Amino acid sequence: MPRRADAQLMFLVALNALVLLSSLILVDRQFFSLFNFQSMGTQVPELGLLALGVMLAMVSGNGGIDLSGIALANLAGVIAFLLAPLIFSSEDAPAAFFLAFAGIALATGMLGGALNGALIGYAGMTPIIATLGTQLLFTGLAVGLTGGSALRLGYVQIIDDFGNMPIWGIPYSFALFLLIAAALAVLLKFTRFGNHLFLMGSNPKAARFAGLRVQSMLFRTYLLAGILASIAGIIIAARNSSIKWDYGSSYVLVAILIAVMAGVRPEGGYGRVICVVLSAMALQILSSLLNFMQISNFFRDCAWGLMLLLFLANARVDWNAYIPAALRGNARQGS
Amino acid sequence: MKRHTPFRIAAAAAGIAMLGSGVLAQEGDKEAVTVVKVTGENWFTRMEEGVKAYGQEHDGIATRQVGPARADAAQQAAIVQDLVAQGVDALAIVPMDPSSLEGILRRAMGRGITVITHEADNLENTQLDLEAFDNAEFGARFATRIAECMGEKGKWTSFVGSLGSLTHVQWADGGAKYMEQFPEMELVSPKNESFNDANRAYELAREILRTHPDIRGFQGGSAIDVIGIGRAVEEAGLEDKTCVYGLGLPRDTSEYLESGAVDGISFWDPKDAGYVMNVLVDMTLKGEEVESGMDLGVPGYEDVTVSDGPGEGKIVRGQAWVDVDASNWKDYPF
Repeated sequence: MPRRADAQLMFLVALNALVLLSSLILVDRQFFSLFNFQSMGTQVPELGLLALGVMLAMVSGNGGIDLSGIALANLAGVIAFLLAPLIFSSEDAPAAFFLAFAGIALATGMLGGALNGALIGYAGMTPIIATLGTQLLFTGLAVGLTGGSALRLGYVQIIDDFGNMPIWGIPYSFALFLLIAAALAVLLKFTRFGNHLFLMGSNPKAARFAGLRVQSMLFRTYLLAGILASIAGIIIAARNSSIKWDYGSSYVLVAILIAVMAGVRPEGGYGRVICVVLSAMALQILSSLLNFMQISNFFRDCAWGLMLLLFLANARVDWNAYIPAALRGNARQGS
Repeated sequence: MKRHTPFRIAAAAAGIAMLGSGVLAQEGDKEAVTVVKVTGENWFTRMEEGVKAYGQEHDGIATRQVGPARADAAQQAAIVQDLVAQGVDALAIVPMDPSSLEGILRRAMGRGITVITHEADNLENTQLDLEAFDNAEFGARFATRIAECMGEKGKWTSFVGSLGSLTHVQWADGGAKYMEQFPEMELVSPKNESFNDANRAYELAREILRTHPDIRGFQGGSAIDVIGIGRAVEEAGLEDKTCVYGLGLPRDTSEYLESGAVDGISFWDPKDAGYVMNVLVDMTLKGEEVESGMDLGVPGYEDVTVSDGPGEGKIVRGQAWVDVDASNWKDYPF
């Protein structure tokens, strides 16, 4: 369905432009300052990466979803915080410390993702139940390891720069997010894994009979989602110079909202990386705009929920059916 | 399936246009924004009264209060980040989790934004941190009332939200230290952890009443401890024989204050804290220094103590506790 895909992309581009344009009318010029764009840029990656993980899970079909993303991100940060100082000191060798920190976080993400993958792929558990279980497990581990309090990374220049500073005008973390998104897009579009993933998502039964190794595919999908979550964990730690088990407790819903807004089909088989990136950006700009306009944050929660329902409904309703035949033109061709 | 993008864009535009009702500050006023942990909680609704009052009573400064809809450090950080990008003149923050704001506040100060905090005496990147009182003194205050009520003799115990809650432990220790001067006061099984759960506090209090049937004094830690203790005392029919004091919110505790199961509560008034935060904001914006012994113009903050904080900033402490019992809880509607 190429036409549908293009429409979604166009829609998201238009949405971004529209929100930016309305900011011209609604708030002062400060919104269009470079600093604000950089500030919004540093806020996108953590949610964007989690949304990409949700997208992978959704595309894989079989009611796929990953609720454990933010919990795993926090756990990866906690474990890296506890282990990295044993290898390098953050004061004597900050670069090496950061690398060790990132490495350990990634390894944690892989383990967590592998656990999800094993439960869903090999044990055949329903994704929503399995990831709800692992979400509690990851959160519980993080609380247990930290005693519930925040861990302070302190001010390590290189980590703080990574989390907040721009390179050639673009924040490091945002550049990294774009790179990862591009790599993921290539993986999905040009590799056998990607092709098989979409096939499996659109029709799992056919995929199995066609000889795809469904179990292994699912395992690798959730493994990948786990790795994305741990990268989000690294960015969160860098951005806040601290780690806490309950950071971003509202992210589970928002990540799903981003994926759905991007046109990812919750039933599986369809989703585009670029749409997820655009949708994450649109949501961030809108969110910042609401803050600039001093609108109550309750309204934001309400708006997010409403948008989630609208986009879900929109994906299901065939609007052509409600438009008079005379106006439809090429309605016969509509699916 | 064909999509009608223009329709949806039009609908979205209409929707956004309808929201364009943001209140704009008067031109030329300094913009001071207070960011609280969460909106909609009685505590912070009360604080907002103080924040607004300051702005209304003073020229040249526009004050307002914002906060996330949910108590999530990430949402609070996002709000602060947007305010910094917006270029407000000053931020007064009650951090959900002080350490998670260090990075953002460092940049805010780097951009010339005045940063004042409340309840965050471990935060490094702040210019002034406001504490309603010294925690040890606050604990001693409970102990004073308990000792008075018990006639300075008998068994008593203390509760904390958790041993990880620094302030609660300081209150319990401050109380115990004060009691040392009375040889006939006996502290039994101190620092019971209620984990901020009224039910847990109730069960703990029941256990203690069973093990020490002659216990007379209870010092609560978290704001719900006295509620749990009060329920246990009421069940045991000991309203008139026990002395229960602790941190509490007037409206939540009123039922037990009326029955006498809880004899008194103390707290600091968030309205005053919100007001004084903005006093400090205004002073800092004008380049005035806060010094020990200063009168900030609000009861409880008439003789503040200033000490060095963990970072560059300073900590400002008042003696702003409010003692409430059955007679005057109605004066504090939160």
